[in-house]
Amino acid sequence: MAVDPVEAAKEKKAGDLFEEFRRSAEAISARVYRAGNYSEAAGIIVGLIREHSAKKVVATSTPLVESLYLDDITREAPVCRDNLRLHAAGADIGVSEADFAIAETGTLVCEATDINARLVSTLPPVHVALVYEDRLVASLEEAIGLYAGGDRGHLPGYLSFISGPSRTADIERILTIGVHGPSELHIIFVGKPGGGDR
Amino acid sequence: MSREIKHDIKEALSNENLRGALGRFGDAYPASREAAYANKDFSALREKIRSIKKYAADNMEDLARSFSEKAARRGAIVYRAETAAQAREYIVSLALERGVKTVVKSKSMASEEIHLNSALAAAGLDVAETDLGEWIIQLSGQRPSHMVMPAIHMTRGEVAGVFSKETREDVPSDIPYMVKLARERLRRKFLSAEMGISGANIAVAETGTVVMVTNEGNGRLTTTLPPLHVVLVGLEKLVAGLLDTVPILEALPRSATGQKITSYVTMLTGPAEAVDAEGNRVKKEMHIVILDNGRTNMRDDPVFKEALQCVRCASCLNVCPVFQLVGGHVFGHTYTGGIGTILTAFFEGLEKSAAIQSLCIGCERCKEFCPGKIDIPRLISELRVRQAREKGLPLSQRVLLKTVLPSRKMFHGLLRAASRVQKPLLSGEGAIRHLPFILSGDGGDLKLPPIAPTPLRDLFRDGRPGRDESSGIKGLVGIFAGCMVDFVYPGIGLSMVKVLEKMGYRVIFPQGQTCCGYPARQMGAPEVMGFIARQNLKAMGEKPVDYIITPCPTCTHALKNIYPEMLRQDKNYGPQAEAMSARVHDFAEFVCREAKESGLLLKPLKQKITYHDSCHLKRSLGIDAEPRELIKMAGAELVEMKDSDLCCGFGGSYFMKHPELSDQILGRKLENIIASGAGTVAVECPGCLLQIRRGLSFTGNKPGVKHLAEILAGQVE
Repeated sequence: MAVDPVEAAKEKKAGDLFEEFRRSAEAISARVYRAGNYSEAAGIIVGLIREHSAKKVVATSTPLVESLYLDDITREAPVCRDNLRLHAAGADIGVSEADFAIAETGTLVCEATDINARLVSTLPPVHVALVYEDRLVASLEEAIGLYAGGDRGHLPGYLSFISGPSRTADIERILTIGVHGPSELHIIFVGKPGGGDR
Repeated sequence: MSREIKHDIKEALSNENLRGALGRFGDAYPASREAAYANKDFSALREKIRSIKKYAADNMEDLARSFSEKAARRGAIVYRAETAAQAREYIVSLALERGVKTVVKSKSMASEEIHLNSALAAAGLDVAETDLGEWIIQLSGQRPSHMVMPAIHMTRGEVAGVFSKETREDVPSDIPYMVKLARERLRRKFLSAEMGISGANIAVAETGTVVMVTNEGNGRLTTTLPPLHVVLVGLEKLVAGLLDTVPILEALPRSATGQKITSYVTMLTGPAEAVDAEGNRVKKEMHIVILDNGRTNMRDDPVFKEALQCVRCASCLNVCPVFQLVGGHVFGHTYTGGIGTILTAFFEGLEKSAAIQSLCIGCERCKEFCPGKIDIPRLISELRVRQAREKGLPLSQRVLLKTVLPSRKMFHGLLRAASRVQKPLLSGEGAIRHLPFILSGDGGDLKLPPIAPTPLRDLFRDGRPGRDESSGIKGLVGIFAGCMVDFVYPGIGLSMVKVLEKMGYRVIFPQGQTCCGYPARQMGAPEVMGFIARQNLKAMGEKPVDYIITPCPTCTHALKNIYPEMLRQDKNYGPQAEAMSARVHDFAEFVCREAKESGLLLKPLKQKITYHDSCHLKRSLGIDAEPRELIKMAGAELVEMKDSDLCCGFGGSYFMKHPELSDQILGRKLENIIASGAGTVAVECPGCLLQIRRGLSFTGNKPGVKHLAEILAGQVE
């Protein structure tokens, strides 16, 4: 089969962006994974549940998270989706979906007007964020541009840009990871839906 | 100057913890900032920010109106508070009306500015600061010493003491342990609080959005968990459009903490969803209090409007040699450091800023780093002018400025008298406290050079040195010597003459010249500088010269840049100042260019020389390459010292006004000079020469200090 040069260039660009994202995000203590499909992504989450001996997982009900059918595979830890105000603070892991990823800074962009999206990403000590690989953009400017009169229409009520885990250097300028927010951030890129490998 | 600030300085300087913390951060900051700006064009970025914020200041009312409309349309309740008291009352009564008992706060400098915590506590509310640094400050009953890192002045041991007292447990001084303790304690507060109060870094008029930049995650919890959220935002945080946030979001974390981006950037547009502690969905309330409290006065002030370009990154504190010594509890009020002095004057009153105005040494390093392109030192010197206008000058300064300086004859007469008088009184090291910047000061026991027996002007008058009048071939040079070279270091002047004449110039010394007037402006009397400027314009214009060359960067800056600006409105002298400006050159800059064009024969100097950048030469005039090139042209080996452009601590009258600070700044410079291994330090400023020589006299005058003119004069063939 002949290789379409335009498609090949696009793919290369996407690969470059992913590598740039990985470098930027790892430099600020996030962990980055690449899953070819939903079941691989779910497998990574199961691995994290085991690694942390998690007893309780909270998750949002967005399409990407739902596509992983976490309830079927995480026998060790029940996945809570309701009444998260009561459950998130006691959960070991929170799973949510990010809308975009910014390569330059290793940042996730999350439309979080739905309070559950915030509860799962702020209260548990470990935050796992899923994002489609085709949602990678190059820069902060490009990401904000999407909301400035762009395709995304009006701004969501609560738009979060998340870069690495929560951190402080307020005592003697010594960096400590994990203060009020999660101390671990795991970012799983999921291959494009409809792509050949799904 | 108040006795209090002298006392505070002394105390700060003897606080080893403070010195250690600030010094370590100050040393590490420039490199981490530099790394964060890799692949970014800082000058382009700050230009964008300057224009975005300037537009916002020019259109403040329109933007405030649009912001209020848009935020209201998205469901927020917007309140405009003209004063700190109005803002406090609004927030306190809102809390009481809603039956709030516990309040969580994320970091807000504006809330510090209006002293919100004490007002809430007085109303019987339990208020918890949740930013770790702010919480430490709150528990220890202090105020933030730094706008970004409020507890930077405290050690882990001190923090452990504060936490032990709060928890009535023996808290170890282990940082991760203490961070965990803060998480647990404050988590309970987050989960039970009925009201969250946050600040904002940016407010977007086009969309009614507030933007918050945080690292710890407390901002997200403050704005998510309590069903009632109050945002306190200053009018200066407004920008026109959403895309205007980009340059600010790029520069703020890089300049503040050397991060490419903070862990969290949160954009809030209207109230988002909320649930109460039982998990029931409730209507979220979002109140936005837009704070004026002096900001519209700032906007209406043609000079200080520029300060509204501040994004509160605090990089001006981080690079300030004085802040690094004393910290924000001495240098500032709510807002600290250089920009803090300016903000204090407008938000808390000129009087409150009076004592701290004197702390700025005028080295202009902050100006290079400011992402809002604010000329902070210039604004501080303008504050001094206003303070002087309002409160008057101290008697000694008044006599100097109003009587002595405007009369060249009287001023120079006093200097000559001083040169005669000092001899029997002082052996070897004399006193030069009669130079303009020194006349008003208190010299103490500083080791100072004597006033020269014969000033440079007399050496010219009574049998001019060098060639006769007919020998000039390339052009006529008029020397503008400046007080220090004229009366203390005439040898530097003679060296200049020697080099310039070797290059084929005829050199004259216009006798009507006097002090450049810069010290008068720094003391708060620009009108005296204006008066003197006109005298100098007349003197330097008496005989038309092709070039005016000075060995002093402050004089060069005054003649070249300040005179034209100052006299712009003067129909007669304004154009003269413009015309003279083009002819004024710094000695090294002039000689370097000439040497490159027509060559300059120099005997090779087999020596290691290190070069100290004087603040005014590098930052006011942008000259740093030429002196180095000349050193190399002279055949010497140029060895760079660490931080060659860090101030030497002279600062005109500063070294007499604040000798304890000046000495500390000098100490750091001397360490770097000695570590360079050079045999000579070259300077291009008589003030730096005096200061560094004074310091090195305690080390046996090794290495030696020379003005570049002296070095070159020794090598001309």
